[in-house]
Amino acid sequence: MFDSLYIAWRHLCFHKVKTGILASVITLTLFLPAGVDALVDESAEQLQRRAQATPLLVGAKGSETELVLNSLYFESNPPVESNMAAFERVRSSKYAEAIPLYIRFRAREKPVVGTTLDYFAFRHLQMASGRPFAMLGECVLGADVAKALELSPGNSLLSQSENIFELAGVYPLKMNVVGVLQASGSPDDSAIFVDVKTAWIIAGLGHGHQDLANEEAADELLEKDGNRLTANASVLTYTEITPENAASFHFHGNADSFPLTGVIAMPQDQRSKTLLMGQFQSAKDDLQILQPSSVMGELLAVILRVRTFILAGTILLGVATTLSLILVFALSLRIRRQELATMRKIGVARLRLFWVVAWEIVLVILFSGGVATALTIVARQFSNQAIEWFLL
Amino acid sequence: MRQFHLAPVVLGLTFLTVCGSGGCAKDESNGSRSAANGNALISGRPQVYAVNYPLAFFAEQIGGEYIDVHFPVPDDLDPAFWNPNVASVTAFQQADLILLNGASYAKWIRRNSLPDSKLLNTSAEARQQYIYVDDAVTHQHGPDGEHSHGELASTTWLDFQLAGMQAESICNALAELMPDHATAFESQFVSLKTELEKLDQALLSVAEDQRALPVIGSHPVYQYLASRYALNLKSVHWEPDQMPDEAEWSKLGDMLERHPAKTMLWEAEPLPGIRSKLDGMGLQSIVFNPTGNVPRQGDFLKAMQQNVARLTEILESP
Repeated sequence: MFDSLYIAWRHLCFHKVKTGILASVITLTLFLPAGVDALVDESAEQLQRRAQATPLLVGAKGSETELVLNSLYFESNPPVESNMAAFERVRSSKYAEAIPLYIRFRAREKPVVGTTLDYFAFRHLQMASGRPFAMLGECVLGADVAKALELSPGNSLLSQSENIFELAGVYPLKMNVVGVLQASGSPDDSAIFVDVKTAWIIAGLGHGHQDLANEEAADELLEKDGNRLTANASVLTYTEITPENAASFHFHGNADSFPLTGVIAMPQDQRSKTLLMGQFQSAKDDLQILQPSSVMGELLAVILRVRTFILAGTILLGVATTLSLILVFALSLRIRRQELATMRKIGVARLRLFWVVAWEIVLVILFSGGVATALTIVARQFSNQAIEWFLL
Repeated sequence: MRQFHLAPVVLGLTFLTVCGSGGCAKDESNGSRSAANGNALISGRPQVYAVNYPLAFFAEQIGGEYIDVHFPVPDDLDPAFWNPNVASVTAFQQADLILLNGASYAKWIRRNSLPDSKLLNTSAEARQQYIYVDDAVTHQHGPDGEHSHGELASTTWLDFQLAGMQAESICNALAELMPDHATAFESQFVSLKTELEKLDQALLSVAEDQRALPVIGSHPVYQYLASRYALNLKSVHWEPDQMPDEAEWSKLGDMLERHPAKTMLWEAEPLPGIRSKLDGMGLQSIVFNPTGNVPRQGDFLKAMQQNVARLTEILESP
C-alpha cells in the first residue's frame, strides 16, 4: 500500500507542472462556490448591520432602494429630492431627532455628504486628526479618502461639476480640509463630509460676493434706486470661503425649500417610531418614510435568490470540470501506456498498478481540497478587508 | 420616478463591488466620545451657551447652580454682528444646549456649523410675532433676481412678553435636560417671569395714555419695543460714539417734518455734541440700552428697570 503511495507521490513530484495545473483547476472549482458564498454572506451581513443602525429614513416618494443606497452607502444616483420642510416636519413632530442629508455632489470622484455635526455623533465617528467642520466651506474626510487622495488638515480640494458641459453652471467650491475621521470600516470611510449649508453653496443656492452697498463695488453697480441695488455680472463671486469673506456668504429663498436627499430620523422609542411612521402614510403625502433594514432585507432576498443561480452555475461548472479531469486522467493513462506496460513486465501486479494511479488522483484531489478549504477559511476571516479592497 | 437598476447591484454583489461599500466592521453601538460631542460635562454640570446676554441671563436665573452658562462674545461687540473665530465655534459645538434668539439674530450661526440637536430657538413659539423690516437693502446681480440679506427685526426681548416666552422655552429645555431639577427650574422661572411682567405692565400702562406718540430710534433695534408698547417709532442708523455727517442730520430734519418726535432712544449715552445738537432740534435723548451684551453695571433686569424708568418718565412728562 505505502509503496504504491510512494511511487504515486514520486510521480506527481516528477511531473510538477502537470500536477500544479491539475491541482489549481480542482482548487478553483472547489473554492469558487464556497468563497463566493462566504463573501456574499459577509456582505449581506454588513449591509444589514448598517441598515439596522439607521432606524428610519424620510425622503421624497420614489425609489425606496435609491433612497436607502444613497443615504446609507452613498451609492446610486441621487434619489428624488425632498427639502428642509421634511427635516422640520420630523423634528417638530417631537417623536424623533432628525439629521439632514444632501448627497448629490462629488469631489475627486468621492461622494460629498452634506449633513450636520449630529451625523458624527449618530454614527459614533471620531476624529483621527484635526477637528469637525466649523465654518462654511470646511470639510472632514473619511479615513480612506484621506489616504487615497493623500490629503490632511490644511489641504483643500475642489467640488466637481455635475456636468462637464454645464459651462454656465455653479462654480466649483474650494473646500478646506479641517479634519480626518478614524477608520470605521463603513462607507463613512470613503466619503467627504461638509455642513449641509456648504453643500447648498456647491449647489449654487448660496454665495458670497462683494458688498454692493460698499464703495469698492461701485464699478459693478448698474443702478441704485433707494434700497434696491442692481449690479452687473462682473460682481466678484467668491469660490472659496475664508474667514475674511465668510460674512458675505448668504442664501437665497425660503430655507424650508432648500433641497435634501434624505432625512435620518431617530425616534426615542418604539411608540414614537410607530407614531412618526403613521404621519407619513397618507397617499397624498409627497414624502415617504422607510425602515432601511426592511428595504435592504427585500433587496438582499432578491440578491440571495440570484446567488442560488450563481451557485447552481458554479456546480454545473464543477461537473464540467470533473468530466474534463476524467478525460485528462484517461488521456494521461493512454500516454503512460508504455510506462505502465514496462512496470507490468518488471513484475508489478495489475492491482498494484491500479493503486499507484488511484493514489495519484487521490493525492491531487486531497491537496486541492485542502488548499480550497484553507482559502475559504481565509476568505471568511478577511472578508471585510476583501470587500473594502474590491470596493475602494 | 427614476428606475433603480437591480442588475448592476446583483453583479456588484457577485463581484464584490457593491456589497463591499456596506461594511461597518466596528460595532456601531460603540458609545465612546464622538467627533461632534466632546467635553460637554467637564464640570459635571451641563454647559449652556447663549448667543446674547439676555438669554445667558435668563439661563443663569433659571438654571442657577445646576448649569454652567457661557456667553463668549467680547464685551465691546454687538453679539448680533459677532463673527466668532474657529475656537469659539468649537466651544459652542461642545455645548449641551445652545440658546438661539431666533428672528435671524446672530447671523454667524448660518455661516458656521453647530449640532442641530443642541440648538434651541427660544423665540420659535412666537414666530408669528416676528417683525419684518421694510427698509432692508435689496440687490440684484446675475440671473438670480432681486434679493435682500436682512429681513427680520431681531431684538425680540425688548417686548417683555416675548422675553417671558423666551425664558419659558429655556426653562422647558433645561427641565428636559435635567428632569430631576425641573421643579427648581420652574420655581426660578416664575420669579423671573414676575419681574418681566412688572416691566411689561409698567410700559403698557404708559403706552395706554401715549398711544402713537412719535419717537425716533437712533438705531433700528427698537421694533419689538415699539410694537408691544404702541410707540410710533421711526429709526435712523446712528452710533452713539460717532458724530453723524451733515447728510445724516439733514435726513433727520426731513424725518422730523413728517414725524414730529420729541424723544430719541439711544443704545448708549450719545456724545455730548450729538446730545446738545439734538436738544437744539427739540429732541430729547434718552438711553434705552437693549443689553444685547453685558451691561457695564448691574444685570439685565436692573438695566431694563432703568430703561423703563427713563422711558416712562419721558412719556409721562407733559
